[in-house]
Amino acid sequence: MRVGYFCTFTPKELIEAAGFSPFRILAKESITGIANAHIQSYSCSQARGSLERALRAELQLEGVIFTRSCDTLMRLADIWERNTKMRVYNFEFPTRVDEKSKDFLISEIRDLATTLKLWGGDITLQSLKESIELYKELEKKLEELFSIKPDYELILRVQEMSVKEALKMIKVPQKERDKPKVLITGSVCPFLNVFKLFEEVGFAIKDDLCTGTRFFSFKYPEIDINSIEDGFRYLAEKYLYKAECPTKHYERERRFRRILELSKDCNGVIFLLMKFCDPHFFDYPQLKEELEEMGKKTMLLEIEFPAVSLEQLRTRLEAFYEVISC
Amino acid sequence: MIFAGIDIGSLTSKCVIIDENKILAYEISRVTPKIEDVAEMVYRNALMKANLSEKDVKVVIATGYGRNKVKFAKDRVTEITCHALGAKYLIPTTRTVIDIGGQDSKVIAVSNNVESFVMNDKCAAGTGRFLEVMASALGVEVSELGELDKKAEKSVSISSTCTVFAESEVISYLASGEKVENIVAGVHNAIASRIAAMAKRVGVKPDVVLTGGVAKNSGVKRALEKELGLEIKVPEEPQIIGALGAALIAKVRYADSRGKSEG
Ligand SMILES: Nc1ncnc2c1ncn2[C@@H]1O[C@H](COP(=O)(O)OP(=O)(O)O)[C@@H](O)[C@H]1O
Repeated sequence: MRVGYFCTFTPKELIEAAGFSPFRILAKESITGIANAHIQSYSCSQARGSLERALRAELQLEGVIFTRSCDTLMRLADIWERNTKMRVYNFEFPTRVDEKSKDFLISEIRDLATTLKLWGGDITLQSLKESIELYKELEKKLEELFSIKPDYELILRVQEMSVKEALKMIKVPQKERDKPKVLITGSVCPFLNVFKLFEEVGFAIKDDLCTGTRFFSFKYPEIDINSIEDGFRYLAEKYLYKAECPTKHYERERRFRRILELSKDCNGVIFLLMKFCDPHFFDYPQLKEELEEMGKKTMLLEIEFPAVSLEQLRTRLEAFYEVISC
Repeated sequence: MIFAGIDIGSLTSKCVIIDENKILAYEISRVTPKIEDVAEMVYRNALMKANLSEKDVKVVIATGYGRNKVKFAKDRVTEITCHALGAKYLIPTTRTVIDIGGQDSKVIAVSNNVESFVMNDKCAAGTGRFLEVMASALGVEVSELGELDKKAEKSVSISSTCTVFAESEVISYLASGEKVENIVAGVHNAIASRIAAMAKRVGVKPDVVLTGGVAKNSGVKRALEKELGLEIKVPEEPQIIGALGAALIAKVRYADSRGKSEG
C-alpha cells in the first residue's frame, strides 16, 4: 500500500517504517483539464498537474501527506480532501528552521506516526531503526552516484517505491568527459526531456533541485536509537539539517550559502523556475546578484509542465552555452 | 574570400553575403513550411545579386528558429549571438541589442561578446505578431504603422498585455470613434512598455540598437525611446542583422580553421 507525499521535508522513514511504500507525487504528461474546475490557473503546474492526476484516478494511494511549505501546497491539501477519496494529513514542518523549532518538529513527527497507525501502519522500534538505516544507505549511494554523473531517470523512479526496492536499482555510472558545467537550481522537475536537452546542448549538470540532490542531501545526527522517541528525535534533527528550500527561513542565509558553494566548480547557474513559484522567484534577484558577484553567469528559464515548448528552451540553452564557452 | 550567413526566422528568411571587408548582397523572403527549400532559395537569390555562385563561398553559418534545417551550413549559432555580433559590427559602440522579430523578442547585453540576454515568453505580446494582429484589426498594413504614429495627436491606453484582449480593446476604441493614428500610438506604447520591462531585467546601457523586422517601424522606436529615456540607433537594414552576424562568424570560423591547418 502506498502513501503519497509532495515535499522532501516529509520524513519518508516513518511511512516506510509503518509498512507503507512512500510515493512522491509529481505532475506528469497530462495537460491540466479537469483540475481547472478546482484550482486557479495561476497556481504552479506542479500543483495543477498533480491534482489532475488525482482527479483522473491515476494515483492509487492510501493517503497523502502534505507539508507546510508554500501556500499553494497548503491549499492544495484542502482541495485534495474535498475532491478525492484519499485520506489527507497535514504535516506541519516548521517554517523557521533552527534549534528552537526542534521540539515542535518532534511533536509533529509523533503525531504523524499516530496518524499512520490510524491508517493501518504500526511503527515498531525495529522497523523504524531499519528504515532510518536503509534511507541513509540509499541517500549516501545517490550522493556518490550524482557526484559522478546525475541520473534523473533513476532518482525520479526511486521516489515512487519502497526504499528496499530503490536500493536494488542503484548502479554506479561512468564518468563523463569534460564539458562546461552548469548548476540547475529550482523546485521540482519531473520531466526527463528537460535534462536531456541540457545534455544535447553539451552541458554537464549539477543540481539544486527538489527532485534531484535535495532529495538526498542531509546532515546526519549522532544519536543512538534505543527507543521510538530516539528515532523521532533523530528524524527531527536529520530533517532540520536537510538541503535548504526557499519556503523556509534559515539562520545565516543557509540556503544561499549552499548554492554559492555548489556553484563553485560550475561555469554558470541556471534558474529553472516553475511559473508562479513564489518562494523561488522572491529569492531569485538577490541570489542572482550574489552569484554574479562571484563571477558566475546566470540565466532564468521559466517553465511550465508538461514541458512542451522545448525548442524555445533549446535556443536559450544554446545561447547560454555560447555565452559561457566564448 | 566570400562568406554567407543565413537566418531562418519565424516569418522571414534572410541571407547576407560578405567578403573580408563589406556586405556584398542580401536577400529577405517569406518563410513557408518547407524550411529546407526556403533556405536554399534565399541563399541562391542572395548569391545571384552578388554575381556569385555556391562554390565561391568558403563557409556558411545558419541561425534563427529554423537553423537546424539548413543542411548545407557548416554550423549553427543561435540568433542571440548573431544579432549581438551583427549589431556590434555596424555600430561598434553597441552595448544593448533589442531584437524584435515576428514571433519573439530579445534583449541582449553586449560587451565584446554576449554578456547576458532575456527572451520573451511563449505569447505574442511584445513581438511582430502583436503588431500584425493590431494592424489587421485597424485595417492597415504593418508598413504603414510608423507613418500613422507620426500623425497621432495623443495616445490611447491599452491595458492588456495579452494580444487577444488587446485586440478587443483596439476594436472597442474603433467602435467609439477614436482616430486610427491615436490607437496606433497606443499600440506602440503598449509594446514598448512590455519590451522595456524585459530590457530592464538585463540592464540597459547605451548605445542601444534596435534590430529585427519591427525596427523598421519608426513608431516602435519612438515609443521605446520614450519608455527607456534614451536614444536608440537603428541600422539601415535592421532585418538582416542576424544573418550578418552569422556571416561574420563564418568568416571567423574560416580564419580559425586555416590558422589550425597552418600551425
Ligand atoms: N516594412 C516594415 N514596416 C514595419 N514592420 C515591418 C516591416 N517589415 C517587417 N516588419 C515587421 O517585422 C516582423 C518580422 O520580423 P523578422 O525580424 O523578419 O522576424 P523573424 O526573424 O522572426 O522571421 C513582422 O512581424 C512585421 O511586424
